Amino acid sequence: MKSPALRVADLPLRAPRPTPAASLLKLLGYGLAAAFLVWSYQGAEVSPVKLFSDAGNMATFAADFFPPDFSDWRYYLEELIVTLHIAVWGTVLAVFCAIPLSLVAAANIAPWWIHQPVRRLLDAFRSINEMVFAMLFVVVVGLGPFAGALALWIHTTGTLAKLFSEAVEAIDPQPVEGIRATGANALEEIIYGVIPQVMPLWVSYTLYRFEANVRSASVVGMVGAGGIGVVLWEVIRGFQFSKTAAAMMMIIVLVTATDVISSRIRKFFI
Amino acid sequence: MLKNTHGALPAVRIAHLSKTFGASKRALDDVSLDIGAGEMVALIGASGSGKSTLLRHISGLVRGDRNAEAQIVVDNRPVQAGGRLSPDIRSSRAGIGFVFQQFNLVGRLNVLTNVLVGNLGRMPLWRSLLRIFNDEERRLAVTALDRVGIAQCAFQRASTLSGGQQQRAAIARALVQKAKLILADEPIASLDPESARRVMETLSLINRQDGVTVVVSLHQVDFALRYCQRVVALRDGKVKFDGPAAAVTAALLRGIYGDNTDLDFGTLEVEPSERDGARSAMPGPRQAALA
Ligand SMILES: Nc1ncnc2c1ncn2[C@@H]1O[C@H](COP(=O)(O)OP(=O)(O)O)[C@@H](O)[C@H]1O
Ligand SMILES: [Mg+2]
Repeated sequence: MKSPALRVADLPLRAPRPTPAASLLKLLGYGLAAAFLVWSYQGAEVSPVKLFSDAGNMATFAADFFPPDFSDWRYYLEELIVTLHIAVWGTVLAVFCAIPLSLVAAANIAPWWIHQPVRRLLDAFRSINEMVFAMLFVVVVGLGPFAGALALWIHTTGTLAKLFSEAVEAIDPQPVEGIRATGANALEEIIYGVIPQVMPLWVSYTLYRFEANVRSASVVGMVGAGGIGVVLWEVIRGFQFSKTAAAMMMIIVLVTATDVISSRIRKFFI
Repeated sequence: MLKNTHGALPAVRIAHLSKTFGASKRALDDVSLDIGAGEMVALIGASGSGKSTLLRHISGLVRGDRNAEAQIVVDNRPVQAGGRLSPDIRSSRAGIGFVFQQFNLVGRLNVLTNVLVGNLGRMPLWRSLLRIFNDEERRLAVTALDRVGIAQCAFQRASTLSGGQQQRAAIARALVQKAKLILADEPIASLDPESARRVMETLSLINRQDGVTVVVSLHQVDFALRYCQRVVALRDGKVKFDGPAAAVTAALLRGIYGDNTDLDFGTLEVEPSERDGARSAMPGPRQAALA
């Protein structure tokens, strides 16, 4: 509707300028961000100069990696497969736990006094790195891949449940109401109304986490939790850099292969 | 006082139902209404008059205000009373089919599964959670799909159907529920005229052949008059008119929709007999002008 009193000539062409107070606030924000960067620079002892002054060191070090020594490739391959197994089971266990946890962490499913505590628990799972969990589980179940799988399980449960529950919160409520109107109970509403809607996202998140877990599984071994990480730890500590290079290259191949295959599977599900 | 216009045992009894959203928004204001078994009732009223809110209360999807006299009884089972849902609300809902303006099917499930959901109320939980339906349940669903004319779409994802087909799938779901009451909230508001006609024909057929009570809210007065014997008109959450379709006059509609409307009331002055004759036919020119 056009009101006769308002003519195009009177319409503003630009958004109004921010008030001085708003401008000041914005400036303050930039200042704080800059201060934080400077502070972190000191904390991390960032010093680009070192990269150049120690360039000679770097060169000899890099030279030690070549040619890669593949003489133990059978052993590396075995450990790589163990790494894959750790990643698979870390992910599978996490998916089983993440499904119920994500539902009770979703604000449109559970009341706040349930979903809030669950979310804090998931935050805790996520905030501790897999390596820390790996060290703890090595103490509990001993050295070996199982400790690695358990470590990935806890951390991945935290991330997946959060991602899953965000998908649940983004569903269209109308089909769920359609299910409810037939006399369905809460579980049936979830099975028929919620799960079909979130399935594509859940599958895709799971595959992303699996890719990430293959990478993580290759390092949990460094604290004794099995897989190719154990090899890496041995060869690096023994200054056997040409063997390190071989192991690293095989890790790259494995990680790339998983990424490619899982992105194929993901496309299939969407 | 509750009046029972048709003398039959009421399929739906609504007494002193009020609903306030937030602090002051009165969506329903002391609504009392009896609907006899086998009736086909049109619920009309301007947008925001409370049609959806009323229908959602009948199915217990919304709770009324905490007023001690308020109650809704469907098929002799309490749905809610005094602002509290009945403890066995789910078995009440299982006997009430609900058809929504936006169809509310699960788009990623196939049509058959959407319709099979109508069985949930009668299935053991372990089977419903595992989505295991037996042959009898499947036959019921396929028969219902065939009856509404979309059996050929059974294994398509619901989201791939046209609006009219989705709405007929929703009606098939109500048939599988073996619902004695179907509530339809503006079922044709999102449909083209031909699909709208087919959906209304389907509802009307179910009403006449199966004796299912149908309460349908409609925006288009001509559809209401053509398919329903009884009209209930809401304005600002109050029942402003309740009577036979034949008694609906232009003056009455003006009172319901207000003077500020695009409806051409002049075309409504049809003889009741003429209107009855047109009921099963396509919209006549005079009535179509109202759409
Ligand atoms: N969930 C809700 N929250 C707040 N107000 C609502 C809600 N649902 C409906 N209303 C209000 O109640 C009134 C009746 O709405 P509704 O029943 O949808 O009308 P109709 O279906 O006749 O268009 C409207 O004023 C609407 O804004
Ligand atoms: Mg409405």
